[in-house]
Amino acid sequence: MKDKTYRLVKAATNIISGLSMTTLIVLGVSYIGFNNAFVFNNSGIAVTNNPVTGGQINFILEGSRRHECILTKVHSDAFDDATGERFALDFARKVYIRSDDYLGSDTGEVDHQWGVPTPDNMYPGLYRVTLYSEFECVYLLFKKTKIQTFDNISLIVK
Amino acid sequence: MDKVKNQKIQKQVERWDLFARLTPTLFLATSLILVVFDVVPLEYAFYIGLTGFTITAVSWWWWAIFTIRYLISILSRASTNLIDVNNEIKIVKKELEDLKDER
Repeated sequence: MKDKTYRLVKAATNIISGLSMTTLIVLGVSYIGFNNAFVFNNSGIAVTNNPVTGGQINFILEGSRRHECILTKVHSDAFDDATGERFALDFARKVYIRSDDYLGSDTGEVDHQWGVPTPDNMYPGLYRVTLYSEFECVYLLFKKTKIQTFDNISLIVK
Repeated sequence: MDKVKNQKIQKQVERWDLFARLTPTLFLATSLILVVFDVVPLEYAFYIGLTGFTITAVSWWWWAIFTIRYLISILSRASTNLIDVNNEIKIVKKELEDLKDER
């Protein structure tokens, strides 16, 4: 190989190698960031119609979402604060009050409100609600199932 | 002995140079193809890359330390020898001057 060609090949491989290394580092750091990120940041869920008198419990979720995530599974239970008795909230019969994107993938500020029917056998009292949700999140090449749980949501039934 | 070791280090440097120029591109291309065609999950590719990066960094670090130590020892021996040569030249110079004065 001629000296000039050799130099050119060496310079080209140096540049390509440098760019590859940069890409690998950027992708690696992005992957760690995506992997460790929560679905919702600075978020909270509360019952908006406390004390609940009608047949529906209304919830609000506020926060922000950095990555595109689609809700794949959700489950919520209310536990009697005094006895610990469990009441499953029927998410199959939920109604959206404010946003229809809880299942969607919008990023940015999140302000969702939805209602679920009050379980028939629920008696008056103070309850602690937990909400378990599973999401399928995507970012660039990355895809991951993420779980976010909200605990200690106060619910008062009259 | 030094010459053999120096040649060995030179070869090692060339190998590191080749490794540094080829490995990132080869790894990036291979892992992208494998991930895109769902042969390997992204998580595996990430951990393989991280392991490779760690092994390379640790190996390079120790290689660099040993090589620098060796180079410093060569440098210090060379500098001692130069000082000796300098001193001997001074002695020879003085002796020559003394001989000149005697004549």
